[in-house]
Amino acid sequence: MVLKKAKVKVKGSAMLSLLLLMTTVTACTNSDNSNAVSNAGNSPSASTSTGESPAATPGNSVPSGPEGKYDPPIEVTTVRSLNQAAELAPGETYDENIWTKTFESDLGIKVKNTWKVNAEQYQNKIAVTMASGDMPDFMNVDAQQFQILVQAGTIADLTDVYAKYASDLTKSSFEGSNSLRLKAATVDGKIMGIPADGGEAADTQLIYIRKDWLNNLGLQPPKTMDDVINIAMAFTKNDPDKNGKNDTYGLSLDNNLFNGWSGLDGFFNGYHAYPFNPTKGTGTSLNFIKGADGKVQWADVQPEVKTALGKLADLFKQGAIYPEFSVIDGNKSAELVTSGKVGITFGAFWVPTWPINNMYKDVPGADWGIYPLVSSDDQPALSQSMGGLPSHYFVVSKKSKHPEAPFLLLNTYIEKIYGHFDKNYHTVTVDGKDYGEFGLAPINGGLPGNNPRAAAAVQAAKKSGDTSALNDEQKNYYDQVAKFEAGDATMWAANKLWSEGGVFSLLGQYVDNKQVFTSAYVGNPTPTMIAKGPSLRDEEVKMLTSIIMGSKPLDYFDEWAANWLASGGQSILDEVNASGMVQ
Amino acid sequence: MSRRNWRLELPLHLMLVPGIIIVLLFSYGPMVGIVIAFENFIPVKGIFHSKWVGLDHFRYIYNLSETRVVLRNTVFIAFMKIIGGLFAPLVTALLLNEIRKKFYKRSVQTIIYMPHFMSWVIMAGILIDVLSPTSGIVNQFIEWLGFDKVFFLGDDKWFPYVLAVTDVLKEFGFGTVVYLAAITAVNPSLYEAAVLDGANRWKQTLHVTIPAIIPITILLTTLALGNVLNAGFDQVFNLYNPSVYSTGDILDTYVYRIGLASAQYGVATAVGLFKSVISLVLIALSYFLAYRFANYRIF
Repeated sequence: MVLKKAKVKVKGSAMLSLLLLMTTVTACTNSDNSNAVSNAGNSPSASTSTGESPAATPGNSVPSGPEGKYDPPIEVTTVRSLNQAAELAPGETYDENIWTKTFESDLGIKVKNTWKVNAEQYQNKIAVTMASGDMPDFMNVDAQQFQILVQAGTIADLTDVYAKYASDLTKSSFEGSNSLRLKAATVDGKIMGIPADGGEAADTQLIYIRKDWLNNLGLQPPKTMDDVINIAMAFTKNDPDKNGKNDTYGLSLDNNLFNGWSGLDGFFNGYHAYPFNPTKGTGTSLNFIKGADGKVQWADVQPEVKTALGKLADLFKQGAIYPEFSVIDGNKSAELVTSGKVGITFGAFWVPTWPINNMYKDVPGADWGIYPLVSSDDQPALSQSMGGLPSHYFVVSKKSKHPEAPFLLLNTYIEKIYGHFDKNYHTVTVDGKDYGEFGLAPINGGLPGNNPRAAAAVQAAKKSGDTSALNDEQKNYYDQVAKFEAGDATMWAANKLWSEGGVFSLLGQYVDNKQVFTSAYVGNPTPTMIAKGPSLRDEEVKMLTSIIMGSKPLDYFDEWAANWLASGGQSILDEVNASGMVQ
Repeated sequence: MSRRNWRLELPLHLMLVPGIIIVLLFSYGPMVGIVIAFENFIPVKGIFHSKWVGLDHFRYIYNLSETRVVLRNTVFIAFMKIIGGLFAPLVTALLLNEIRKKFYKRSVQTIIYMPHFMSWVIMAGILIDVLSPTSGIVNQFIEWLGFDKVFFLGDDKWFPYVLAVTDVLKEFGFGTVVYLAAITAVNPSLYEAAVLDGANRWKQTLHVTIPAIIPITILLTTLALGNVLNAGFDQVFNLYNPSVYSTGDILDTYVYRIGLASAQYGVATAVGLFKSVISLVLIALSYFLAYRFANYRIF
């Protein structure tokens, strides 16, 4: 996968330039036309959306708020990225499915896909679409393309239509957790896009520890970071798997350094340090903290990072970290863990579903305990989250006659999936096989906090024995947990997700107890981040790797931090401080 | 050219037309995109409306602290691969040629040819295990011989050589087939004459086989020179890691990492252009050399 993308990236530039060339030529010749169209298109849209002239002829109607139906029906265009791995239910296609039919019958909106491509080609195809100026009414773009489109001025200002057409539930999905999602989509006071994700601290980290190993050695779950280190040492030296061989490691790590699987994010958080810059990341999504003087500082150069780094170097020296971690990637570190060589990993909520999902079933006696992050002192540890900012947006073309239509679609989506959960729109079962339906919807959103709420509901029903309050989605999880309790080992991961003390309960606790760290900077990557970020990232991962492995002394950290400031870091800080996007 | 000839050749010229159109469309057309290297390219604005920045991208690349290191790595690694890729197949082909048992010869040929078809993703997975200091078979052998273990993929002193050796291991079977074909084409009467003159197998190889395949050897080597800036993206990308960036990072992987983050089309195109210019010079040079020493010519 990675390789494939890489090839496209490097070798595709010639191809891309050809495509761009061809499309620009057409775009140039068309530009006069399209301006005329857009002007013509704008005036009727103003009248339809404000609803000043409703029911000009009997039977004609347009929605004047979050609900309502177009009669005669309207058509809106979009483009789709296809998930090749997902099988579709018989009779369902990306062009016609339960969603499009509902939109047509309930809202009078016919959604037409101008084009569909595989997910891998989607980004490139969007770039071409952007270049050609031939945009569909609405489309899904990533954060960077969003920024480019805002600058180019080709997407519509949604401030008014949002206020008028978004349902209360839709609005709550954007305005929860400090309106972070809405803020990210707002440029110069105008809402320019509909965030497709973000707003949820779903990437906070937990500690996963081999419970059977703890029991073998008579150890207690960790309360402090010192406990974590002691457990890691005991797992390394005291033969936790009782096979008589010194073949185990304490802490899982691979060369990506920061990750939802065997990353160090949670370890650093325990020392109140919040660095984030994965080896394979973009180098532009960085954490910032607000200093005492109100100015932001970069999280990665703080002294707490150095403290934690010292502990890691010590763990490595004592053999608690796989000596070749710098060479292996996440798949290899997963192999080490699943083959019973490693006992602790920090990771995101999905770790029970991959890679440790089959261990309970396949490895006799193996079981994992899940614990919230612990702190090195009496201050509670905050778990860092990058998930607050959306990575994708739906944008609406300036030429669209119905800029409100995407909101009406989204209202329906959120209602069916989160408001009054209707299983038919989520998953259908045909001949005993489950097919996902939610992925077919041309627009989508999320209700932050949905999973922790579901976990709480499942646990409440478990206690009371009363499942009547559960919706279909929650009932599904309830059944999975019940199956596990009845001895079905394949449901181990589901049990870890939904049952008491499971990952979603812990994630909910982080939010409830305000134990989530998010960057003080909520804006998009600044110009210097884009220009210098990747090479600064390389310097940082080299520094981290060499200090952990002991090939550089711990004090090299200070030299690196000074160097960072001198080679672009200061301009990044200046840009961030001047951005007005600091919260 | 006489009229008659022209009429006879007309169908042939017509047959060329589709090919020429395709070349114009897919090879010459995209060259216009080279201007992206000189502008601050924004897809929405297109090639003609993006801001012109002149040589800024080239200056940016030149000023990046890593560029010179990366360039040196690229040339060094590619050069080692060219040398290794010359001798390993040549020697193997000469040795295989001496084997009389056909079945054995064919088996060896097939087995060494096989890795050529494996992707580097798979090869990298295997190599990481095989070269591992804790459990890898290579290091166990090294230890058995009484030497210290070597962290092949994590030590920046070893990494470029590991790249060269593994690349040769993967590809020498393919080269061997080419040289074997060349050896088969040698006129048997030359060997008969050599035997009459009292030449043993070694002398036959030295005075008949090797001189006969020297042209193809020179040809392949000089043409490989054009690839001196292509040190193998797939291989390096799958094997390298931050601790060996200093010696293992090549131009392609570097640009990938730098450009990946931010869709810096301008910078990527500038690097591509730079590579193309160097390759053009080298290919012209190697063509001249091939012409000079192997009498190889296209036109």
